[in-house]
Amino acid sequence: MSSRRVVLESKDLVAGYLPGVDILTGCNFKLYQGELVGIIGPNGAGKSTLVKSMFGLVEVRSGVVQLLNEEITNLAAHELVRKGVGYVPQTENVFPSLTIAENLQMGAYQLKPNEVQERMKNITDLFPKLGQRLKQRAGLLSGGERQMLAMGRALMMEPSVLLLDEPSAGLSPALQVDVFENVTAINKTGVSIVMVEQNATRCLKISDRGYVLDQGKNAYDGTGEGLLHDPNVIKLYLGTMAESR
Amino acid sequence: MVSGLKVGLLVALASIGLSLIFGVTGLVNFAHSEMVAFGAVIALLLESTVGLNGALFPLAVVLAVLAGGGLGFGLERGIFGPLRRRKMTNISLMVVSIGLAFLMRYLILIYHGAEPETFESFRIQSGVSLGPIELPAKDYFIIGIAFTTLLMVGLLLQRTKLGTSMRAVSDNPALAESSGIDVNRTIMWVWILGSALASLGGTMIGLTQVVEWQMGEKILLLIFAAVTLGGLGTAFGAMVGGLAIGFASETSTFWLDNDLKFLIALAVMIVILLVRPRGILGVRERLG
Repeated sequence: MSSRRVVLESKDLVAGYLPGVDILTGCNFKLYQGELVGIIGPNGAGKSTLVKSMFGLVEVRSGVVQLLNEEITNLAAHELVRKGVGYVPQTENVFPSLTIAENLQMGAYQLKPNEVQERMKNITDLFPKLGQRLKQRAGLLSGGERQMLAMGRALMMEPSVLLLDEPSAGLSPALQVDVFENVTAINKTGVSIVMVEQNATRCLKISDRGYVLDQGKNAYDGTGEGLLHDPNVIKLYLGTMAESR
Repeated sequence: MVSGLKVGLLVALASIGLSLIFGVTGLVNFAHSEMVAFGAVIALLLESTVGLNGALFPLAVVLAVLAGGGLGFGLERGIFGPLRRRKMTNISLMVVSIGLAFLMRYLILIYHGAEPETFESFRIQSGVSLGPIELPAKDYFIIGIAFTTLLMVGLLLQRTKLGTSMRAVSDNPALAESSGIDVNRTIMWVWILGSALASLGGTMIGLTQVVEWQMGEKILLLIFAAVTLGGLGTAFGAMVGGLAIGFASETSTFWLDNDLKFLIALAVMIVILLVRPRGILGVRERLG
């Protein structure tokens, strides 16, 4: 793995929302090219904050974030999109008053109109359900459909790195299966993916590697399969692991 | 009826900016009505002192609109943008806008004076018949300009990338930023567009009534009523709300005293909101 190129890296990240209250207290993270990396941990561990701070949505107080060896610490999110990073938030991840087509167009805001049409065709090929309802308002979609649209929107810029914040949150078990299948399919197209998940078992099953966070710091890391059977991880995370099996 | 349409179009024109700015920033801008007055005063100044009257008057209108856009740019760049980036709450920003409204109102009083004035170019006009309708020529001009502008704003919002990005930022600024939209730039364009439209609305209102230092204060309530009635944060709502308020107030004079016309409009607003709390075009979203 070490011979592969590191696409996204954070070193000793300290970040938080409120002044004087740090959620991340020195977090380290690496994503290699083509990898699917899962981030799991108990509630309040700082999983979403890690992804948001790497994407410029939460202010990094100290530490460094690098994209392909270029420092991107605290760079605005719209500039990171230009550099090839996509992000799908956990909630409120579509523009409800815009149509599905407009949502996808907004995902490719920085592109020229002819390129947008081409990309939209690629996305509707990947998610045919979206293609059938392009004129429908996104606010009327179900949770699963919204998640699909949110991923489609983030893929419109053909990012090299995709950050997913709890993509299966709030979905029925059947829809969760669809989401994980979609994530795997996207990863197979060559997109490096970071996925924060509450559903630890399913996340680690499809992940090449995983990080377990606890109280804003790295607790454990390793291969997805390795973490699944690590007694320490099971002990720290037993409740959720047991529930999700 | 035509008078109601005219007033409705003008209220709509003056209201869109307030709704757009609220939509993208959450700011309830009490200074918006002074931006309406600003446009009228600038156009009057250009007509009376620079000599852009008669056939040159449309140029005065264009320059007043550009000045309005410039004012919006200045307010966002100099005041509201920096305060927003310092995480000032919307309540505090609203208080700032109230202070700004007073400042602008009294600056207009100082430089314009307390005497109401009318545009020289359109002071006396005979009626022009168009089928059963007979109106002064300036009213056709006003209705035409207002209608065309509203149509163009609608097309801008629905058919252009900038307009769609404005609606996206209005829906969810954080998601817009995550999608690659430069949110601060979009907000700047909303301020420029909203202020320019307010300026145009002010100039047109000045043409139908008088230009005076208190004209912003007088139209403030109607603008807020239009925006609330149409659905907060939606430009199309402001258009529909403005038309409804203008129409209701003007047509009520058939049956009621002229002094009561704004009260009727506000009563209509309350009744409609009781039936439809999110406003006429405020949208309901599916949950889950």
